[in-house]
Amino acid sequence: MEAESGYREYYARNMRGISGWFKVRAYTIERWLYAAHRITGILIVLFILAHFYSTGWHPGLWWDALLGVVVTFHVANGIRLILAELGLAIGKPLLIKKPSQRPVSIEGVQRYLVVFALVLFIVLAAIWAYYALVVQSMMG
Amino acid sequence: MASEEAKDYVLPPEVLEETVRASEELWKPVKKVKFRIYKYNPKKDYAPHWEEHELEVSKGMTVLDALLTIKGEMDPTLGVRYSCRMGLCGSCAMMINGKQMLACQTRVLEAAGDGDVVELRPLDNFPVERDLAADFTHFFEKHKSVKPWIIRSDEVELNNPTGPYKQTVDEYARYYQFTDCIKCGACLSACPTAATDYEYLGPQALAQAYRYMVDTRDDGLDVRIAVVDTEHGCWRCHFAASCSDVCPRGVDPAQGIQLLKRLIIKRKFGYKPHKPAEALPAKVKAESKSGG
Repeated sequence: MEAESGYREYYARNMRGISGWFKVRAYTIERWLYAAHRITGILIVLFILAHFYSTGWHPGLWWDALLGVVVTFHVANGIRLILAELGLAIGKPLLIKKPSQRPVSIEGVQRYLVVFALVLFIVLAAIWAYYALVVQSMMG
Repeated sequence: MASEEAKDYVLPPEVLEETVRASEELWKPVKKVKFRIYKYNPKKDYAPHWEEHELEVSKGMTVLDALLTIKGEMDPTLGVRYSCRMGLCGSCAMMINGKQMLACQTRVLEAAGDGDVVELRPLDNFPVERDLAADFTHFFEKHKSVKPWIIRSDEVELNNPTGPYKQTVDEYARYYQFTDCIKCGACLSACPTAATDYEYLGPQALAQAYRYMVDTRDDGLDVRIAVVDTEHGCWRCHFAASCSDVCPRGVDPAQGIQLLKRLIIKRKFGYKPHKPAEALPAKVKAESKSGG
């Protein structure tokens, strides 16, 4: 009986739970970046915990490159989020709207910020990967 | 004379013909679409189930039109909430093929796209009332908690007004966009934070808080900051911007929340966006009356 009421409550509440963080289909690129930011954030926390446990564990140079991708994405997108959350590049509230007005905070200057964050991510990740895979292996 | 004038307003026959043809075109059945509808009554059913209905749809048919046809002809037990049928009341928001939309403003063919299936569910992250109707009690409580009304310290003027409060167009433009909210719940439903945090105030309430905080007639900045600057307040927003993406009225709540954060940070440094507006003096009122 208890199980039945629990089951019923689950459907009646209709909460998406953690799967809601990653429901990106049908939404704009900001939602994808949100999901990726979550995943990279969780991975960084897990890495730091493992790193605290054993600093000597090192499966290979590719590991450094992979870590670079995770960290640089979180940094680049983090810069975008800090700027947006300080109210920069998200435009001003409108006095006049078009019949089917698209939001200024998404499709205004903020889109350039998205491009900037992605370019910064690629550049930083490339530098990190070059260092991890080429420079480090040359140094032995 | 009267009949001659009236003649001028009669459409030329070719225009009239074209209008009739276009109207017929709009309501001519185009293809069969399968509707996959979520059925669940929490008071009776153990678990939800899906029901499928096939319907001939036309170009002009909205999802709400289709639902009412299904309710009238196929399944009278279908639970759906609607009122104005023109995107003003915000009653019919639901998940249409996985995205929050107003059933009355979405055409079936638009929702189906290239496919021929339209899946309808109640709004995510809202308790189910029955079938496609969601329970908005909690949502309205959140809206009420940010005190969505003008707060003033001059009780006497507020209760016995001597004139309208002074406000320029620029001051009006700061908050006008957010007044278009119809409380359809699409933004809260789309918000990924609301998927795991039931108590999160949500884009609607936070944008409304900002709307009143920057209204020059209002003097309740600190009262509202105490409500929104909390564990379940504006800092849980991480700018996924889906609220603005799904808003059927172009309110852009994501922008409101980020501006709200900036306002709260500035307030920590002692900044106040405005002094509460004064009532227009009697002299100005008299002048504008005689002038206009």
